[in-house]
Amino acid sequence: MSTALLIAWKDLRQRFRDRSMFLIAFVVPLVLAFIFGRILGDVGQEVTFQYALANQDDGVISSVFVDEVLTPLERQGFLEITPVDSREEALALATEGAVSAAFVIPAGFSAAVEQAQPAEIEVIGNVEQAIGTLIASSMLTTFANEVRAAQLAFVTAVSFDESAFSKLDELTEGRALPNPITLEDVSATRKELDAGTFFSAGIAVFFLFFTVQFGVTSLLDERRAGTLARLMAAPVRRSAIFAGKLITSYVIGVVSMTVLAVATTLILGAEWGDPVGVALLILAGVLAATSITALIATIAKNSEQAGNWQTIVALVLGMLGGSFFPVTQAGGAIVTLSLITPHAWFLRGLGDLQGGGGVSDIVPALAAILAFAAVAGTVAMLRQGKIFQP
Amino acid sequence: MKELVIAGFNLRRLFRYRPNFFFIIIFPMLIILLLGATFGSGFNPAVGIAAEDTGALGEELVAALEAEKGLRVRRFDNEDDLADGVNRGRVEAGLVVPAGYDSMVRNGDTVILKFFSRPGSFGAQLGATVAAVVSEQSVLVRAGRYVEDEGYASQDEALERAEALSRIIPAVNVRVTRAGEALFPEELGRFDMGATSQLLLFVFLTSLTGSVALIETRQLGLSRRMLSTPTPVRTILMGEALGRIAVALLQGVIIMVGSGLLFGVNWGNPVGAGLVLVFFSFVGAGAGMVVGSVFSTEQQAIPIALLAGLGLAAIGGSMVPLEIFPDTMRTIAHFTPHAWGNDAFAELVRRNGSVVDILPDLGILAAFAAVLFTVATWRLRKVMTN
Repeated sequence: MSTALLIAWKDLRQRFRDRSMFLIAFVVPLVLAFIFGRILGDVGQEVTFQYALANQDDGVISSVFVDEVLTPLERQGFLEITPVDSREEALALATEGAVSAAFVIPAGFSAAVEQAQPAEIEVIGNVEQAIGTLIASSMLTTFANEVRAAQLAFVTAVSFDESAFSKLDELTEGRALPNPITLEDVSATRKELDAGTFFSAGIAVFFLFFTVQFGVTSLLDERRAGTLARLMAAPVRRSAIFAGKLITSYVIGVVSMTVLAVATTLILGAEWGDPVGVALLILAGVLAATSITALIATIAKNSEQAGNWQTIVALVLGMLGGSFFPVTQAGGAIVTLSLITPHAWFLRGLGDLQGGGGVSDIVPALAAILAFAAVAGTVAMLRQGKIFQP
Repeated sequence: MKELVIAGFNLRRLFRYRPNFFFIIIFPMLIILLLGATFGSGFNPAVGIAAEDTGALGEELVAALEAEKGLRVRRFDNEDDLADGVNRGRVEAGLVVPAGYDSMVRNGDTVILKFFSRPGSFGAQLGATVAAVVSEQSVLVRAGRYVEDEGYASQDEALERAEALSRIIPAVNVRVTRAGEALFPEELGRFDMGATSQLLLFVFLTSLTGSVALIETRQLGLSRRMLSTPTPVRTILMGEALGRIAVALLQGVIIMVGSGLLFGVNWGNPVGAGLVLVFFSFVGAGAGMVVGSVFSTEQQAIPIALLAGLGLAAIGGSMVPLEIFPDTMRTIAHFTPHAWGNDAFAELVRRNGSVVDILPDLGILAAFAAVLFTVATWRLRKVMTN
């Protein structure tokens, strides 16, 4: 074992002087995480919708919409309302995209409804703000249905008994008709990574599969350079040499991931979650990456071929595992497919740590990552002899 | 003539390196496929639904949500899966329609629909859309229920009368008007956006990583051997440049033809698309020459190529469309050639533009290429003859 450590120590000192390792392990992922986070970070995160309101009606019904529907939602922070004077103004704001959508209530709206005349309210939505427009039109539709229910309740009641006229006020104010169907908003626990953290972690784990190559693959370099033959001539067990290289990979990987986690937290404000949980995920993830990379090294004929295959495997796993974009949103078979990658489980584990999750929440993710490590590692161990054949 | 020989040799070397079949052909197609699968139906939010044995009204509710244009609906088997899907961001929000929904609504029973949303997303607001559909279904029941409760008539009588009156009395109409200019036309194919942006990303990336060949040429002494023959430096540089351009073009053609055949991607005006590819290939080749002349080992060049290839693509709108960038970022984006290439494709593919419409973009790309080639030949001449 001490021989293995000695080899690892020598390798590590060598590696940490290697500029290309520095680039792959630290600089490139950090810069990319920064760029991705900056550009892609805020996309789709708009939570408060901006609306304009042109209310030209002075009746009771439109004021119910404003006071009972819009105002409470504005107070909850779901939307912000900009009052305007005319439809033209509302249209202008919606056209230039200053608001997602505009509500237009025409003059005489309340009177028309009360007299059972055709009445219309309008949503002017900016074409690019599909969600904001959809929500605005949904709110108006709900309101129109409330009005409709009250209207029908009133005329039906009056058609049976004219004394029901006295109920007009309570019905127009919309308080007399409880909706039997209600939505119960169950606020879910957020287990999704915010964009900054997602890109930081996704890119870090993607480059991890390149970083760990600097240990294992150097075995093949040593074979080509002839230093491996010299090592084998010395009273050193082959397994010790192999172990030394694995330790090198592992240490480099852990250092790289730790530096990236800390740096992205400090610089980009990424939130990786509970430190113990993150540490466990990193330790397991690096083990899986090292095992898979080592396995490929035992199959490849030379370091060049190993590098190529490792790159291909890293690209495919990274892409499927959602290192670059959230493939899980695709749904269907791709979600299942992504679960055959350690990347997906690593990111899923980090997701489980969001919203105050702890170590117990990441057990499935850890188990999956360690399973990759165990399978690939065992096969690599069994095949390690291949590397030492000239 | 010798230039062409050198260029041809470069191209042959590209495919003698077997993994390039993967990097140049398979990988770009996989990415386009995945992007199409993930974002193909636009950036519309997805709502998950768990609904079983809900009856006619339940089906109607789901169908109404599915018919909403700004929304995607994804079915889940049960409430637990749905909650998990919302938590993990696979869908923005989730709705549980209880079994027996139909009869509960018709009887006027109290029905509670569970609605899952995630903090920090607009899932909560999407509840408004569900509420709208639900409110439609309960109008008559509510009117009838009121009349019955107030003692004017029995439930059946009241419901019947309300229904009859609802056919006479006009309902409040909600008119939805669209304003502004659509950035992404609705007929945009599922793979179109991914294919055009990935074309630029890969032409540039392959050009940069391919620049390793240039380093190899010097390392292995190929350039010295060529120089020892009666071949002027200019010819060798020209040959290498043509080789780089050929590699870039080949990558582009593979993606254009491949995605056209496999995914039916629409590239817009063919002459225009061809010109964008040619001009962008010059830019990529120029950048590749610069990388190949500045770095002296493959180990240094590859990380830088990855960084520049992916980083510039991200900044230039090849990962997320420029149109949804914040304004300052969009300005910064236009310091990359990718942004101009993406603008040109946007014009061709989404606005059916002609060659004339993309002339300014082509001009800028030409300027990029000119600068890069000047720098590269100056550097290469120095490192090759020293």
